[in-house]
Parts: sequence; C-alpha cells; structure tokens
Amino acid sequence: MAIDIQTPISDEVIAALRVGDMVTITGYIYAGRDRALPKLVRMIEDGEIENSDIQLQGSVVFHTAVSPAGVGPTSSNKVEIESSFRTLSKEGVKLYLGKGEISEITIAFLEENNAVYAVIPPVTALLRSKTLEQKVVAFPEEGIEALHVLKVLKIPAIIAVAHGLTIREDNN
Amino acid sequence: MRPITEAANRQRKIIQDVRDALVRASTTFSKDKIVAYQQAITAEKNQHARWALEIILENALVAEKNQGPMCDDTGIPHLFLEIGPKRTVSGELLYAIQEGIAEGLRFLPGRPMAIMGHDKQRLDQTGGLDPDPGAVAPAPFLIKQVDEDVLRLHILMEGGGPAIRGKVYRVFHQHDVCTVRDEIVRWGTEAVEQLGCTPCTLTIGIGRSHYEAAAMMMEAQVFGSYAVQSELEVSITEGVNASRVGPLGLGGGSSVLATFLKVGPQRASGVRIVCFRPCCCFEPRLESILLEASEH
Repeated sequence: MAIDIQTPISDEVIAALRVGDMVTITGYIYAGRDRALPKLVRMIEDGEIENSDIQLQGSVVFHTAVSPAGVGPTSSNKVEIESSFRTLSKEGVKLYLGKGEISEITIAFLEENNAVYAVIPPVTALLRSKTLEQKVVAFPEEGIEALHVLKVLKIPAIIAVAHGLTIREDNN
Repeated sequence: MRPITEAANRQRKIIQDVRDALVRASTTFSKDKIVAYQQAITAEKNQHARWALEIILENALVAEKNQGPMCDDTGIPHLFLEIGPKRTVSGELLYAIQEGIAEGLRFLPGRPMAIMGHDKQRLDQTGGLDPDPGAVAPAPFLIKQVDEDVLRLHILMEGGGPAIRGKVYRVFHQHDVCTVRDEIVRWGTEAVEQLGCTPCTLTIGIGRSHYEAAAMMMEAQVFGSYAVQSELEVSITEGVNASRVGPLGLGGGSSVLATFLKVGPQRASGVRIVCFRPCCCFEPRLESILLEASEH
C-alpha cells in the first residue's frame, strides 16, 4: 500500500519515511535538471530567491525536462544535478525525485537536512495522465530545461535514500 | 508528366512509412520484449523489483495504446539500411527517409532537443534549443549489404542515459574469451548501478576499430533476440545480474533482461575493441520496414 504525500511536505512526514516505502505524491512540485538546477543554486547563493515566486520550503524537486514529449527522470548523479542537493536541501527541499545511485556525500547531506531521495520509474506515458498543470517559473531561456512547476496527482515513487540508509543496503 | 507523379507518390509513401515506423519504434514494445518482461516478473522475488518491472511494462502498454512516447527522452534517430544485391539507393531515397524521420519526430512528438549555433555553442549549449522536434538530426546512415533481395530500413531511437554509461574501449583478451566476458561484466555491473532506467538490455559490438565496434553494436541492437540467446550472451547477462542491483537500482536479480552481442571480424592481435551500450528499460526502441516502393 502506497503512502500518500501532499506538498508542501512537513519535517514530520519526512522523519516517518523509511527506505523501501512506496509513495504517491500529489500537489505542486518543481521540475528541473542539468541547466536549471545550477542556476537555481546561484539564485540562492546570491540571495535572489527571496525576490522570486519560488517556495522551496517543504518542496519536491523532480529531476526532469518538461517537453511536449512529457516528463521522466534523468540521472540524478549527473554532476550538475547532484551538486545542487546540498544547497537546495538547506533551503528546504524535502524530497528529490530522480533515478540512479547518488554518492555517500549526497546521502549525508540529505540526512543532515532531513530530506529524502526517491526513485521514480521512467514511465512517461503514465505520468502524462497524472500531470494536471505545468508552467515555467524561472530560466525560460532554457526551453525544455527551464525550471517548471507541475501540478501532479499521485505520481508513484519509492524511497531509495532516507536517514543515511539506501535501498540497496536495505535489500542486503 | 506521369513518371513525375509516380516518382512523387513513391517519395511520399516512403516519407509516410518512415514517419509511422518512427512512431511505432517510440511507442511500442516488441512481442519478444513483452515476453521477456513477463518472464522477469515471474522469476523476480524482490517485491520492489517486481513493482518496477510491472510499472515499466504497464507504461509501455499505455504508450502503445495512446500512441505517445514511452519515455520523455525520445532519443536520437539512428538509421540502419540493409541493401540487397539488385537494389539501388539514391540521394532522393535518403532524402525521403530523412524527411520521414523529421515528420515522425513532429508527429510523436519528440523532445525538441536540437542545440543550435556554431561548434562552441553546440558544445556548451549556449546557442539555445531549436523548438522544432523535427530538427533533431539523425546520426549518419549505417549501410549493410545483404544477400536477400530487399531494401530494409531499421530505425533505432537512442536515448541519452545509455550514451552516458556506454563506452568503446580496448580489451587485452590474453587469448581467453573469459577475459573479454569478465571485462564486459565489469562494465555492465558499473553501468546498471549508475544508469537508473533498468532493466537493461546490454548491446555489445566487438571489432577491429572503434568505428567497426560501434557498427557491430548497432547491428546487435537490430538483430538481437530476447527469445534466442547464445551461451556467451547468457553468461554476460547472468554475470551482471549476480550484482543484484536490480531494476531501477531497487535490488533483485533482473538488472539485465538479455545481452545482444555481435562479434565482427577480428585482427591477429592481443587486443579486441569493444563497444558497449547498456540500453535502458525501453531500448532497443526499434522498428523495421521494407521500403517496397523503392526502385529496383
């Protein structure tokens, strides 16, 4: 039975999640990848985030492009993406949706900031019916790699990293 | 005027056939791949892995039903042309195929991911994206002579994830096939850990140069079969599955569904050039068509 999670997500909800939990996520989530996330990190570091409409506290970041072809996870271990976890987690991002293994350092950042990483299957055809709205919120010049906000209904994922543990350790 | 009309009609039919084939490649699992998934679901004991396999298969069936992309990374078209001894290939035919590819990408729709600009801009992506999905240019044609009297086009849609995790590199074989196999298993184990979109189909070409090995790898994608696996292919699949990374990295024994291996001509040398691509859970995204309307 999947655990239903609504955004924004509280610290208590994250604290209760365990590796291997199957979840569904409903609400507004951010979507960005190689181009948008480093720019978002720079916005935070330059103190410009306060002047924007972006609300990262309790948020979800889905590592994906948003194109007419749909959405689907890209590898979260790409340098541009994985290097964004630390700053974004400090800023309040609670859940990352992506794919692939992430490093021990990133796992430690997540634990320090009570955030989790979930693997979302690359099911573009299914996600199409669960994405209710989408719009660009920053970096429109990046096209499909702009930072988007999506309104989603019960998109499926599985918690792969939580509280310093990974799903592979859990399986072993 | 009649010959001109006939030629135009022939050209138009090729464009439409290629367009429709690209859409099928991007939206439809082959029958033997569906069976491979069903067998993996039955054999898989890890519940997380089984969930992943089931949802990926469900996604493919929904994509086929709705004729929408299975994956948002709709891939770069790669074209493999088989030419029989009595067939001719004209510039017009190649143009029609490329036009069909562009139409297919617009119809699908493909992800508009063609980078614009000069060399430096295309490298650092500062030239911007072309909003036209049809602007994603196919890779150069690969042509193979065959004895059969056909002109057959195979369309492969190659995603970015497997390209990141694939490689072409030399293996010093030490006159033992196990040395080559063990190296491929090492590459495969590393790849399934990092790729994310698994279960993989490992596609491998072995040749005398980087170019030849890559061509053999493409041929393996075209002619590989989930239903018929050689002893060496099974050995590689089992070797990587022993890592128990599992689909989507969730654990379990089905990181790899199958291995498609094509061994080309080899040189008298201690080295083999191996091209390795860990195809993602949707790949090879392949459709093959006979270009019936082409000239004899």
